Amino acid sequence: MTMLETIPGSLGVTETWVEKGRAHWLACEGLNVRDVAKTMAACHARFITITATELPDDEGIRLEYHWDLEGQLLGFPFQVSNKQIESIYDLCEAADWIEREIHEYYTVYFLGREYQPLFLRQGDKPGVNLREEDE
Amino acid sequence: MSYKIPMGPYHPGLEEPYKLDLICEDETVIDAKLHVGFNFRGIEHLAETRNHVQVIALMERVCGICSNVHTLSLCRAMEEILGIEPPPRAQYIRVIMAELERLHSHVLWAGIAGKLMGFKTMFMRCFALREKVMDVLEAISGNRVNYSMNRIGGVNRDIADPSTVLAMIEALEREMVNTVIPVFTTSTTALSRCAGIGVLTQERAISFGVVGPTARASGLPQDIRRAAPYAAYSELEFDVPVETAGDVRARLFVRAREIVQSCRVLRQALTKLPSGPLHAEGSDESDIAFPTGMATSRVEAPRGEVMYSVSWEEDSDNPSRVHVRTPTYANMPAIRAMVIGAQLADTPLIQASIDPCYSCTDR
Repeated sequence: MTMLETIPGSLGVTETWVEKGRAHWLACEGLNVRDVAKTMAACHARFITITATELPDDEGIRLEYHWDLEGQLLGFPFQVSNKQIESIYDLCEAADWIEREIHEYYTVYFLGREYQPLFLRQGDKPGVNLREEDE
Repeated sequence: MSYKIPMGPYHPGLEEPYKLDLICEDETVIDAKLHVGFNFRGIEHLAETRNHVQVIALMERVCGICSNVHTLSLCRAMEEILGIEPPPRAQYIRVIMAELERLHSHVLWAGIAGKLMGFKTMFMRCFALREKVMDVLEAISGNRVNYSMNRIGGVNRDIADPSTVLAMIEALEREMVNTVIPVFTTSTTALSRCAGIGVLTQERAISFGVVGPTARASGLPQDIRRAAPYAAYSELEFDVPVETAGDVRARLFVRAREIVQSCRVLRQALTKLPSGPLHAEGSDESDIAFPTGMATSRVEAPRGEVMYSVSWEEDSDNPSRVHVRTPTYANMPAIRAMVIGAQLADTPLIQASIDPCYSCTDR
């Protein structure tokens, strides 16, 4: 069994990887982002980024977490309806800037961390580049 | 007693606008804070207002040095959504452009590193060499900076006479191998400014998720060209240089050795350049109709891995999302770890040693 194949079991899910758009995706209800970050660290996977996409019709924000495992691109999608999700910064130092950036662009709150402004902004408003807070 | 030295956002020791607040005790840096965003242009969100032709021209402007890798990554992601595979000749031309761009970037960086070391003769020498690389790029594409080579399904321009380009590459390599690289790797001036400076240990490199020469200089043998080959890289031989010291000298050595490897890849690609069309059938502008889909693409830029994530909705002219993770975005946070404990005078060279690009970082 390859390292990739062991990951769903390590996360306690029965779903399997779906290969799409040059990435392996593991999408399932109830997956916890911090469990994913811990599992990725245990596998020595390299964190790449989080892609945030605003969904239509007030469906919220979709966050796609990406890691590299031995050249394979892994993706874990999470739908965030209330603009809040747990931070993985304490588990994955590399996620610091992208969490701050998504906070500033989309006013998503990554819970359990403190923020320092990342990009140029007006005063202390988060989301000042593109979205005013509560917009 | 500690004091703060604000370096930047516009400072002679920095190539581009960003701000490094250095907390010092005497001449030693004890902490640092980074501030970016001075080049923020909202490019990712502008991309959502551009069609599949316009978006290529837009993303080419994310970076002034590695503009080609941005269009390459974007086109590969769009091709994945469309189910288009570029023909072999286009794949080879993509490799040739990518390696020329790597040479351009590394030689430019070497020049700037020379200047920051107080080695201005080497700065002038490297910039003269850089002109030669740009002459090659101009001969192929007609442009010195934004080459406009990539399109959906292939490339826009051919390399009509590979032997001419090969001769230029061989002349360039001779000068690199006989002059520039020996000076950088053996000169006392260069080594005394670089050895043991700005160390990023392998453990910290993993923790920060750094990429490219910064990662390879800290003992991490990662290179997307090798780990997940794209274009024609799987058909070409090259080594991935790795150093373990994690200091400025190691980053210098990795790039010096990569210059040689780029020339090696270029020689092979120009010699083996297959005949055939420049773009895939069904990839003309009028033929393109995007289905709903999402794709990612990763390319090894001169500074490390670039990742594009592109989403499209059926019947839409414009992408619904284009996200770019540039190499400096991954490497830049590690600067803090590199400068803590360093002498204040070494900090410009340390920050330059990751070959930062704030235009890419801010987007």
